[in-house]
Amino acid sequence: MELFLARLFDGLSAGATYAVIAVALVLIYKATTLINFAQGELAMLGSFVAYVLAVEQGLPIYVAVVVAMVITAALAGGIERVLIRPFDPSNHLPLVIITLGLFLLINAVAGMVWGFDPRRFPGVFPDGNAWTFGIARLRWYTVGTLATVVVLLVVLTILLNRTKIGLAFRAVSSNLESAGLVGVRAGPTLQFGWALAASVGTLAGVLFVSDPFRQLEPTYAQRVLIFASAAAVLGGLDSLWGALAGGLALGLVESIVVGYVEFIPSQMGLATAVFVIIAVLLVRPAGLFGTKVIERV
Amino acid sequence: MSAFKLVDGSPGHRTYRTVMWALFVLVAIAVPFWAVQTPVLSIGQSAFTFSLGNLSHAVSYMVGVLGLGLLIGFNGQISLGNSFFMGIGAYVTATLVTDNGWPYLLTLVVVIPVTFLVGMLVGLPALRIRGLYLALTTLGLAAVFPALVRLEQVRERTGGPNGKRITSDLDAPSWLPIQTVGEVLAGIPVLGNWIFGEGRVGGGDADTIWVYLLLAALAGLAFWVTRNLIYSRPGRSIIAIRDNETGAAVSGVNLSMTKTLTFGTSAALGGLSGTMYAMAIQFVAPDVFGVNLAIFLVVGLVVGGVGTLSGAVIGGIVIIFVPLWASQVASVPGVPERFLRGPTGTFFLGVLLIVLTFFLPGGIVYGMRKLRSRVVRIQPSRRSEIDDLDVIDVHEDAAARLLDRRESDTVSGL
Repeated sequence: MELFLARLFDGLSAGATYAVIAVALVLIYKATTLINFAQGELAMLGSFVAYVLAVEQGLPIYVAVVVAMVITAALAGGIERVLIRPFDPSNHLPLVIITLGLFLLINAVAGMVWGFDPRRFPGVFPDGNAWTFGIARLRWYTVGTLATVVVLLVVLTILLNRTKIGLAFRAVSSNLESAGLVGVRAGPTLQFGWALAASVGTLAGVLFVSDPFRQLEPTYAQRVLIFASAAAVLGGLDSLWGALAGGLALGLVESIVVGYVEFIPSQMGLATAVFVIIAVLLVRPAGLFGTKVIERV
Repeated sequence: MSAFKLVDGSPGHRTYRTVMWALFVLVAIAVPFWAVQTPVLSIGQSAFTFSLGNLSHAVSYMVGVLGLGLLIGFNGQISLGNSFFMGIGAYVTATLVTDNGWPYLLTLVVVIPVTFLVGMLVGLPALRIRGLYLALTTLGLAAVFPALVRLEQVRERTGGPNGKRITSDLDAPSWLPIQTVGEVLAGIPVLGNWIFGEGRVGGGDADTIWVYLLLAALAGLAFWVTRNLIYSRPGRSIIAIRDNETGAAVSGVNLSMTKTLTFGTSAALGGLSGTMYAMAIQFVAPDVFGVNLAIFLVVGLVVGGVGTLSGAVIGGIVIIFVPLWASQVASVPGVPERFLRGPTGTFFLGVLLIVLTFFLPGGIVYGMRKLRSRVVRIQPSRRSEIDDLDVIDVHEDAAARLLDRRESDTVSGL
């Protein structure tokens, strides 16, 4: 029981971070029906910016995170304007290639500027445990991350459903041409989507590395991207709350199933995530909460 | 305005092609005798040194890019996972050669069927998973490979995280007159000594030249087989699926069969490429075959030219030599030296990928074709019957537009 609880809590804390990056992926997907392969790298870059601001410049950590979110949002907005908008949104191959290029570029820049030595990221949430039961410890980190995800999702839901820019965003994601006809400016709206996704991604990256058991280094995002994609696909690529469900489910699968089933070695968490992606796409491509795509044959 | 015009299929055109091919083969054979001297190229103040081993490495990647190109460029399936199959090929060869004492080439008997079958298995979900989702899934596959070979259960054979050194050398056979060829090349008047040095090819040098020639022959075989596949009836089915899936199905193309087989073939090319990598480097390590290699292959494909076969040759060279060159740049004005010790190669490949997608979406091959058309133009023949060549040329034009920014009216499989 204690072991189960311990694994449950581990799963929740990992799952919550996957969920936040999955939310970022979902935002981009909703806006452009594009999977941004550079999303994880943007999050990594954002967490490095936050690190520099907080540790090297001595800003308070919360201020540093907010500033880093603004900086990456501006960067992503610029990327959308310069690199993404010139392409025809219905042709996926060039866009996939551009985001893969960004993936390499951002990864290399971080490696060149900050090197590959792991760094300790300052904690965002207080150390210690909120609740202890034998060896099972519910850390403040887990509680804080989960709370942040829920708050984030509530804010995003309000933003998308109750505000004018949210309406524009939904109109563009529903039908680009019709949205243009009723006077929604598609470009700036998509740019807003990219900026929003990047700042959410930065928040996710910061949450992920602020776990005292993890460290900040330029390659951490590759793994996270796969997990987050699995979470997003599982929850349904266009469902924000689905991303939370998918992220938590994936975190639990990783810690509980891989923990208990003996023939799955512990390094196979990543393989499990990929398997989840394949299985969901095969059996239920819309995911748990996504909108079914009706295709003209 | 081109200076020469050749009618497609005319004797003149055939002679032109034969001469061009002969030149290409001659250069491909002569290059190792130059490269074995570890040439130094000076551009401005920075010197760039490379060895024949780097060239063999590049040749092995050419086949990997070719496999990816078959899938993305000709079949329109955005798959990124070919590094996974390269990894399988390299590791199977490594373990069979080292642990079981097989000769290198014999391992292909295992590698090619195994990667083909695994590729078909991966290709089965690809029948339902399409476009972006397929890209995502296959990228995940690429990310998993390093973890797979690190598993405890297979560590004995794979060497785990430390990688595996292959303890079998490829020695040049005695019947091959490498020394004589070296002397003949060095004996070419005026240029001979300058390019090929003294023509002395020592024992070790002869072996590296032999590895290169072997790999070049394997690559040539792979390109030849792939070319014939593309120009054949199944090849037309493959291309038809890329251009318009519904149209292809209506015309009687068996979509599932063709797609799965293409996936398998692409994976087998990846496996061959992995075996060639093992022959060239004689060392395999888990992290070589990760996400970065998967994306490097895409870089090679895009830089060479999506939807062209010859682009893979350029692509393989680019993904090896650009990082190599970048790692040798010691100082750039205005850039801290500490940055230059980082992954500058990855940086340049990323930049190259984005820049080419913007400014030369057809890749270098397309650019070179445009340049060539200023000198020699090949006109389609006016025969009433259209032979395979013309059909393919039309498709190659379509391929050059695969990455185009303009909105297209055509329904595309992508």
